[in-house]
Amino acid sequence: MTKIKSVCIIDDDPITVFGIKKMLSLLDLAEEIKTYVNGKEAIDDISKRVKNQETIPQVIFLDINMPIMDGWQFLEKFLELEVEEKIRINIVTSSIDPYDKQQWERFKEITHHLLEFKNKPIRKNDILEITKAA
Amino acid sequence: MMNNQNTLVGNYNNMLRGTPTVTLNYLVKQLPTATAFINKNYEVVHVSDKWINDFDFDNRDVIGRNLTELFGSVDKDWGKALKDCLKGIASGESVHQHLGADGALQWFEWQNIPWYDEKENIVGVILQAEDVTERINVELQAEKLETLLAAKSEITDVGSWEFDLERNRLQWCEITKKIHEVVPTYEPNIDTAINFYKEGYGRNTIAMAFDNAIQKGEAYEVSCELITAKGNEITVIATGKPIFKKGKLLGLVGTFRDITPKIKSELKSKRQERHFKSIFNSSYQFTGILDTQGTFLEVNETALRFSGLKEEEVVNKKFWDAYWWPTPDYVKDGLKEIIRAASEGEVMRSEIVVLDKDKNPIPVDFSLKPVYDEQGNIFSLLAEGRMIKEMVAARRKLKESEKKFRALYELSPTSYILSDFETGEILDFNSSFEETTGYTREHLGKLKVQDILLTVSKTQLLRIKKEIETTSTFGPEEQEYIKKDGTQFPVLVSGSLVGNKKGRKLLWSTAQDISESKLTEAQLREEKQLLKTLIDNLPLNVFIKDLESRKILVNKAELDYVGLTESDVIGKNDFDFYDKKSAQISRDEDLEVINSRKPMLRKETISVKKDGTSTSFLSSKIPLVGSDDKVKGLIGISLDISDLKRKEDELHDLINVTSIQNKKLVNFAHIVSHNLRSHTANFSMLLDFLVSETDAEEKNRIIKMLMEASDNLLETLENLNEVVAISTNINLDKKPVCLFEKIQNVEKNLTAYLKNHNAVIINDVAEDLEVKAVPAYAESILMNFITNAIKYRNPMRKPVVRVTAESDGDYTVLSIKDNGLGIDLEEHGSKLFGMYKTFHENPDARGIGLYITKNQIEAMNGKVTVDSEVGKGTTFKIYFNDKN
Repeated sequence: MTKIKSVCIIDDDPITVFGIKKMLSLLDLAEEIKTYVNGKEAIDDISKRVKNQETIPQVIFLDINMPIMDGWQFLEKFLELEVEEKIRINIVTSSIDPYDKQQWERFKEITHHLLEFKNKPIRKNDILEITKAA
Repeated sequence: MMNNQNTLVGNYNNMLRGTPTVTLNYLVKQLPTATAFINKNYEVVHVSDKWINDFDFDNRDVIGRNLTELFGSVDKDWGKALKDCLKGIASGESVHQHLGADGALQWFEWQNIPWYDEKENIVGVILQAEDVTERINVELQAEKLETLLAAKSEITDVGSWEFDLERNRLQWCEITKKIHEVVPTYEPNIDTAINFYKEGYGRNTIAMAFDNAIQKGEAYEVSCELITAKGNEITVIATGKPIFKKGKLLGLVGTFRDITPKIKSELKSKRQERHFKSIFNSSYQFTGILDTQGTFLEVNETALRFSGLKEEEVVNKKFWDAYWWPTPDYVKDGLKEIIRAASEGEVMRSEIVVLDKDKNPIPVDFSLKPVYDEQGNIFSLLAEGRMIKEMVAARRKLKESEKKFRALYELSPTSYILSDFETGEILDFNSSFEETTGYTREHLGKLKVQDILLTVSKTQLLRIKKEIETTSTFGPEEQEYIKKDGTQFPVLVSGSLVGNKKGRKLLWSTAQDISESKLTEAQLREEKQLLKTLIDNLPLNVFIKDLESRKILVNKAELDYVGLTESDVIGKNDFDFYDKKSAQISRDEDLEVINSRKPMLRKETISVKKDGTSTSFLSSKIPLVGSDDKVKGLIGISLDISDLKRKEDELHDLINVTSIQNKKLVNFAHIVSHNLRSHTANFSMLLDFLVSETDAEEKNRIIKMLMEASDNLLETLENLNEVVAISTNINLDKKPVCLFEKIQNVEKNLTAYLKNHNAVIINDVAEDLEVKAVPAYAESILMNFITNAIKYRNPMRKPVVRVTAESDGDYTVLSIKDNGLGIDLEEHGSKLFGMYKTFHENPDARGIGLYITKNQIEAMNGKVTVDSEVGKGTTFKIYFNDKN
């Protein structure tokens, strides 16, 4: 199994970030793990990378409820970026609001990236499955 | 004279031809007539001595001089006469005045003749003038004398007057004075004399005539109205004639005659004639006047119109030759005979038939009477004819209607009874009477009115008798008759008293069997009662309105609703019960229904009574169409649905509230589940790690995290609890809260905080402004917004929070305005008041404050809005509901 070059986690909950990071390193799936505490930080950094033609994450773990810029707002901006590569975006949330599911369906329709919807908590088995190049 | 002169001129012409000029000159010079020859330039060529003498040209050389020079001017008439002469037209004689060199007025008779040369060419004009001054003066004198003589010879009514111009003296003779009704010593002058004439036409006419006479020497004779000194209005003929002596005007003489009696009598006879003529002509009778031989002398317009003839086609013709008589000869002979008889004094009169212009026979009442003169001799005959077409027709009609009456009498379903008013004896009845009562004509003579009348009491009889005696009629009134077999039946009786020739008082009575209509009436009454009971007991308001929307029938429910008695409602319209707006709406509906003839069905209406109470109705209005297919009004049926409406409204409100609550609940459930799940997920994950972790240090780390997660969960639960407390606290106790004070409190509590951040609160709320709020909430809300305003301050400037309040409809609006960071509403607006939403990278932001604040505001039935611009600041507006 080839290692993923870059994985990023966007979540304001340090425990969740810790958990995902821990699992990724246990399974040794990623060469690089980047973390952001909200959507704004993430999109700012990723935009810069795209502009500078640096490596961008191949797999993104995205939380929805975050301050300043939430998951959906991030997604909106991210899809505006010119990223030809198919990125796997794992939406990881504890929300069971049908609205969020609908948003996911809507975004799936309009993007070439791979969108997954996962409820917390994430288990090791899940991680294995969803940390693959899209 | 004219002929004479023409001959004379002819002679001259002959003499002129072939005669040397010198001779001619000499000849002309000696002519006994004043003669002058002038050329085409009006220059004198030859002239007689007499001409020069007459015109006083003695000392002047006349030959070669122009007429204009000699006479000063040539007036228009003379100029025309001269021009005509040059064209070969001789002028007639005319008399002209000439003022001589000595200033005396002279009169000349002039004649202008064309002057021909040998070749018959006109070379000039021969002027002939004869001095007639003497003659005219003599004539005038004679006339004066004549007038004066005439005045004396007339019996009494012609007076005379004389005016001396030189002395300006007016003299009236006695008769003239008498006519003016002045005293014999009266001395008139021209002004007073003229003022006797009636102002206006009379006075103007006489003044003008008098002036003309003085200025131009013209005589006059005028007829004018004059008012005498005693004020009597009379008509006079006044004449005036200028008197000259040696051509000089000396004055005027004239006559004066009162013609009033003559005019009066003329007027009278004229009027009589006119009256006679108008009567004669406008009479509806044909009238003709014949001489005793039967010849038409006169015929009136009625007769002419009837016959279509002109007067001249009738007058002077024989009476019997007129075309309107029927042709047989004996008619003509008969007419001749009656004319002869009339001319001997007999008066004839009979109904005859004449033919009109279309040969239609016309019945005429004809008469012929002799007319006597004062001596008692018959001098003409008066023939009169009166058309009696209408009379004859009326006679026939009478016969017809009698026949009709007979038939009616016999066939009528009404009984007719003729009885003796005094005794009650029945003298006659018709077949209807026989049928209804069973009596036959055999009973006549034995039967009395009293026999067939049953229940009429004595007093009733007396009353009827009295009624008949005063008005000759009675009834109609209900009575009961008894049939021959003894059964009774109700009748409607009326009667009329007639007198017969012998002075016997007879009574014609009609009796109508009303058994059936009585029955129908009773049925109707019963049906009506049934209907009324039905309508009155309907749980609906029922009413009938006429075309003017006046109520003509209302049921009990409607009366109960308006709270009035029937007599207070009937005839009134909606404007009498409801407020103007409701009444107008109702009237408009009525008109629509009446005009369109289409019913208005089950319409929800609201009626507001004068006292302000409003009732919801489900109303129907149905046009009421009469048997003649015309709309008579409308039937209204209203169901009071106020209770229903109220319940419906309540239900609506309830549904609204429930739906909002439900939405909130679902939302809340999601929040709760999300928040709890995120913590439990963390627990689960961390425990998972802990179980498989071998490294002690890592274990410690995980346990620390578990504790953190536990703290977070607790905090979350506390937050949720707070929210639940607000949302479930339904019976909020709202009290008047003084906002100014509350802001002061917050300011006090935040003193240190404000000082730390160098922040200022400007409290611009009126000190006495109170809102209805839960005091704790109001404080919490203020605290939250104000701390937020400072928390999210702009580091570049000193934070200033300004609080103001204003009224907006049912709300008091509190504005909290800051100069902080501001917020991008486009991006975050939808989540601003959401739970756990933060927008600034501020470690203090928990994302719970605005959520709770909003819940508190909404729990008090208020609302909150936000207006913000990034970099400038934010304004929150809190709406406190003053109503509930």
